Amino acid sequence: MIEVMKMNRTVSLLKAKHEIREAKNAEEALVLLETKENLPDIILLDLNMPKINGIEFLSILKNNPDLRHIPTIILTTSDNRKDILECYRIGISGYILKPLKYEEYVSKIEIALSYWSINELKSA
Amino acid sequence: MSQEKIDILERALKREKAARKAAEKILEDKSRELYLLSEQLKVSNAQLEASVSETSSQLAGVFENIIDAYLVMDLSGNVLSMNDAASELFGYNLEEESLNVSKLIYPEDSKYAHDSFSELIKKGTFSNYTARVYRKNKEVRWVQINASLIYDKSQKPIAAQGIIRDITNQKVFDEKLIESENRLATLILNLDSAILLEDEDRKIVLTNQKFCEIFKIPVEPQFLTGQDCSQAAEQSKNLFKEPEAFITTINQILKEKKQVIGKELVMTDGTILELDFIPIKKGQTYKGHLWTYRDITLNRQYRKSLEAQKEKYSRIIANMNLGLLEVDSDDKILMVNHSFCEMSGYKEEELIGKVGGKLFPIAEDQRIITEENEKRMEGESNSYEIKVTNKQGVPRIWLISGAPNYNLKGEIIGSIGIHLDITELKNLEKQKEAILKELEKSNKELYEYAHIVSHDLKSPLRSIDALISWIKSDNEGKLDEETLQNFSMIESTLETMENLISDILAYSSAGAETGKLETVDLNKTMDNLKRLLLVPTNISMKIPSKMPVVKGDPTKFQQLFQNLLSNAIKFCDKENGIVEIDFIEKPSFYQFSVRDNGIGIKKKYHDRIFKIFHSLNKNKESTGIGLSIVKKIVDLYEGTIWLESEPGEGTTFFFTLKK
Repeated sequence: MIEVMKMNRTVSLLKAKHEIREAKNAEEALVLLETKENLPDIILLDLNMPKINGIEFLSILKNNPDLRHIPTIILTTSDNRKDILECYRIGISGYILKPLKYEEYVSKIEIALSYWSINELKSA
Repeated sequence: MSQEKIDILERALKREKAARKAAEKILEDKSRELYLLSEQLKVSNAQLEASVSETSSQLAGVFENIIDAYLVMDLSGNVLSMNDAASELFGYNLEEESLNVSKLIYPEDSKYAHDSFSELIKKGTFSNYTARVYRKNKEVRWVQINASLIYDKSQKPIAAQGIIRDITNQKVFDEKLIESENRLATLILNLDSAILLEDEDRKIVLTNQKFCEIFKIPVEPQFLTGQDCSQAAEQSKNLFKEPEAFITTINQILKEKKQVIGKELVMTDGTILELDFIPIKKGQTYKGHLWTYRDITLNRQYRKSLEAQKEKYSRIIANMNLGLLEVDSDDKILMVNHSFCEMSGYKEEELIGKVGGKLFPIAEDQRIITEENEKRMEGESNSYEIKVTNKQGVPRIWLISGAPNYNLKGEIIGSIGIHLDITELKNLEKQKEAILKELEKSNKELYEYAHIVSHDLKSPLRSIDALISWIKSDNEGKLDEETLQNFSMIESTLETMENLISDILAYSSAGAETGKLETVDLNKTMDNLKRLLLVPTNISMKIPSKMPVVKGDPTKFQQLFQNLLSNAIKFCDKENGIVEIDFIEKPSFYQFSVRDNGIGIKKKYHDRIFKIFHSLNKNKESTGIGLSIVKKIVDLYEGTIWLESEPGEGTTFFFTLKK
């Protein structure tokens, strides 16, 4: 709950024009993505999810020709080296560790979003 | 004159006349006879003369045709004539050249030649002159000469004649004979068997060195020749273990005078002798006997030790816990030991003659047996495992180590295999493998679990921090100083909590053996740490320009140095802080040291600091886990860690890493 609040609050704080669509777990996310309309510009993925875990979800994304192009950034508390290496192997666009401090969190998200804003993938 | 007288006278005159006539007639006859005789004599004289000249010419022919060389010379040594044999012997031809015998004489024999010639002149003959001569081609020959003088009518010597026999070959033969006799004598003298040759009166004819040695006779063997031996046995009986038995034996042999071979005698010093007795007979006459004593002690000892060895090994084979199997080149069983019978469940008689490779292995492993047997026939030793079934049909696993078996000629006649039932061992191994696999899995799970738990524990902390931050920003200007202070205390507590969770995670994974055995260049580790650590400007770091290369997990070594260095930096209270790394190389390990001039640690805490959660300083960065992790890593690499410290002066941590 609070994670969603954090993200929403961050986006509003940054006065960004981004639309956030939230999925509580991988299945929900897959349903969202299945419509193929309104595909997100970037996906922020937490590894620690119930049922299907983040890495499995990432594999599904990267094996789907319609979805594999969407930049996926891991946003997680886990700095398990094995997980990091595995994510990069499957294919991710970034790996952000959630900091303890909210202020740091805001600044990390701001940087990530502003970076991917310049990348204009939608038209491609 | 009476008539009568006249008559008488006339008659006497008549008688006288008649007598004279008769006498005249006789004379006439006689003279005719004489004439005839003298005529006869004339004839026979002529006959005689002829026969003399015939004989002498015959003689000359004989000399010329004689096989031996014949030579006539004047008294100055000039050869007057010689026959073909002499020509051939000396190599000279008188028709072509003159020859003086001095040319023929071998220098060393010249005095003997001279003396012999003087003797010839004096006595008229000499015989058996034996010397060397030169042939014309300088070849040396041995000759034997019989010579005599030749006289003229007035008995004056005018020449000498001689018959020369070439005895070179005989001489060589004689020399060889002497040589071989000498050799034989030397041989006997130095023979390794004691020899004693006695004649029929028990006098010594010949004995040798070894005999003197064995019977402890302190003289050279040649001095014993001629000695009487009748008391010899009595004198030397004490050299033998059973003196009386020795005497009896000798006496009995002498009485029977029959050949004895290999009679064994033991001497007091342990020497074992073998005695031969050989009687010598010439026709039916007893000429003496030959005693031979051989020292067979060594021989006997060898045989004994050989037997002992054999006994020893057969006992080992019979009793050893390994199954032994000997097969011929057709894999037919020749020999098994007790253990093999136990292992296989068969009795010995059930196995002998059977083909081992067919009897035991289960079908799929028969191929192994065939292959290994082939290798062994090529002279290769090998060991391998096979699955078998014993007589009861129970599957077992055997470890077989086999080697080819050779005969005395070095040919392969089969092979010998040693069998060990490793079924239990194999089962244990399998169990061990399974346990290890399980352990690995649960370790991994534990590691994952630690990560998940730390993640799950950290998430609420983030949420709390976010919430506080929002409260602060939503109520900006509405909160009093005390509340803000309390909020910042909550924040720093959250930080401590977060550090604690990270450290526990690090500690739980620090001790886990990752199995990584990489070559780690500590120079690279140091470079990494220099980038990673925030070193305040007032602290100078000294690192050796060349750090060693060790084996292990690079992340663990980095963590080890990182924790020690960050402690050293953290607890610096001096204006000019020093942190220094150093190391010493020892034969089996490296000893490292990390020195600082910080606050120091009191002696009573030295043991406690390595224990988990024993932080000496209660600040938010100290969780009391850092040094526990260090200790865990040092333990992992079979090292030790200790420290020297003076409160207020500084601390030096020492630790070793096994090479």
